[in-house]
Amino acid sequence: MAKLFERRLTPLDSPLAISTTTSAAFLTAMLVTSFLFLRYGASPLQAYAALFHEPFGTLRGFGYSLVRASPLALVALGTIVSWRSGFAYLGFEGCFVIGAAATAWLALLGAPGAQPGPMPSFLFFPLAILFGFVAAGIWAALVGIVRARFGGNEVLISLMSNYVAIFILQYLVSGPMRAPGSLPETRLLPRATWLPFILPGTRAHAGILIAIAAAILAWMLLRKVTLGYELIVTGFNPFAARYAGIDVPRRLELAAFFAGGLGGLAGMVEVLGSQHRVMDGISGGMGFVGIVVALLARLNPVAVIPTALLYGGMSVGADAMQRHADIPSSITFILESLAVLLVLAFDALRYYRLNPAFWRSAPPAAAEELK
Amino acid sequence: MGSAFIVAWLSASLRLAGPVLLAALGETFAEQSGVLNVGIEGTILLGALASFLASYYTGMIWLALLVALLIGVAANLLLAWMYVSLRASQVVAGLVFNVLALGVASTVYRWALGNSALPESIAMFHPLHLGALSNLPLIGPVLFSQTLLFYLTIALAFVAHFVLFRTNFGLALRSSGENPATADSAGISVSRMRYAGTLISGAAAGMAGGYLVLAQVGIFRETIVSGQGFIALGIVIFGRWNPLKAAVAAIVFGACDALQLSLQIFGTHIPPQLLLALPYIVTILAISGLFGGKAVQPAALMTPYVKE
Repeated sequence: MAKLFERRLTPLDSPLAISTTTSAAFLTAMLVTSFLFLRYGASPLQAYAALFHEPFGTLRGFGYSLVRASPLALVALGTIVSWRSGFAYLGFEGCFVIGAAATAWLALLGAPGAQPGPMPSFLFFPLAILFGFVAAGIWAALVGIVRARFGGNEVLISLMSNYVAIFILQYLVSGPMRAPGSLPETRLLPRATWLPFILPGTRAHAGILIAIAAAILAWMLLRKVTLGYELIVTGFNPFAARYAGIDVPRRLELAAFFAGGLGGLAGMVEVLGSQHRVMDGISGGMGFVGIVVALLARLNPVAVIPTALLYGGMSVGADAMQRHADIPSSITFILESLAVLLVLAFDALRYYRLNPAFWRSAPPAAAEELK
Repeated sequence: MGSAFIVAWLSASLRLAGPVLLAALGETFAEQSGVLNVGIEGTILLGALASFLASYYTGMIWLALLVALLIGVAANLLLAWMYVSLRASQVVAGLVFNVLALGVASTVYRWALGNSALPESIAMFHPLHLGALSNLPLIGPVLFSQTLLFYLTIALAFVAHFVLFRTNFGLALRSSGENPATADSAGISVSRMRYAGTLISGAAAGMAGGYLVLAQVGIFRETIVSGQGFIALGIVIFGRWNPLKAAVAAIVFGACDALQLSLQIFGTHIPPQLLLALPYIVTILAISGLFGGKAVQPAALMTPYVKE
């Protein structure tokens, strides 16, 4: 008896097939979410128009979208570098707060009354990038070393390491770095250390430029450089990589360092560009949402920027929707996560095809049984 | 710091250990079957909401607990389908499910109660008073004045240990997580075992959410779970995939948490974050491979099984 769906020997992996299943997943997610909008008496079309008008139809909203997109894009790039190297790192919440704390410390050195005094900005910003990158990079590389040298499981260890980093930050902002006052947070960073605003009339800051530069560098690393090729080979097949003479443990550690560094830059961008101080809970789950962004971008560095902008924009639109129409912004969590789950589910479709023999063989088989 | 401090600290340790232990017991089944179910964080949240609403509308606490359990199973049916049938990345599906659960929980909560003020109180489990036992010095208030759910959870730890290590089902489940190909050739349905492991962890996580609301907090907030599912993952590892050791691990975690609370009240100079971070650091060291912990981990954990 022929089956209606027949399993393919190899999945259909043409760009057309992948983009078709991805957009089908997105449309299905939007369709399902539409029913939630109906519950609020809003027509789904109007609701989606409202969701996307604020972030992409108004200058102010677009500025906020850029602000939200920058750290997400950087975390996503870190995810791509580590996951494609076969290092399933999940510790970006930790890297985010380590990077944030390190750059805030550097920036506060230039606060009035502090010892070395203000730094010229041509010196400060490169130093801040280096500092945030290296601090969080070392943090993640520790997990890389444990995995590469001792065989520890990086998924579980990096999940646990998030909490250690978050407690370190809590300690810093309620102890050594605490500003006088009631809340556990640092002082406002000196105005000279803020990332410059790039769009007049909005809050958009230079962080998005850092994210774009990082995306280009990540793409070059993975596509144009021998080291990147070795990282990807390590990710595909560590045994083959070792056979080809690649130092697999060293590559894993490097991948962890780069990934953590990018996560640290996300924290730096958020502190110097948007919050201008560090407080407990500053990462706000961005270390995980960034991973989701990377997955939706199919671990492709070039696709990260538009995907992060879409995600950042949706969260801005959702806030506006909640303010104006009293539709809870949590609906966008449903929309966003449903889209990813459906992308995963629809991926399975590429392994199957309709079997024409099903229609051809069915009637005779049924006729056989009748006799 | 006299005996009053010790009593308050120890009884708080056990109280805080309860819900995470319940979730960890279920997670042990999932991981022993070869599935790392990161989605328990979201499942606990859904269970918490379900039990809160059920208790709020009906006032029946046992019904509320049952509803939480059923919601946990239903939600994890979706997860099991993704983990086992679609062979999606377990970490990815679980993490994204947690975001979905957060969205669903806060949306449903607002539907149910709108923007109205928090309800005054719901029906809850109260600490038991076991007559003479509860009046014993030290151990009375610590051991014999917990809620019924705590004793139920401890009993379940023994049941879980028995089922995992003394029954055919437990053997089949563990072999699916250790060496699925061999299990398969011995006639065990690996996917059925992994479905079972995931659904058991869903039931336990849902109940853990109910435990949290019905015996500890009494209200629902989106932040009510705040990482307790991940703590349960840590407890499973710390307990080396063994339900009884997980119970010990949960109490250690609870003791650190309770100690930092008490120390803050007493105003000592030890940073509370150090105590809070300690269980995680110990867990990391335990699974780092530095001390050879790798051998206890189910060998096929996180590896989808493709039948040849």
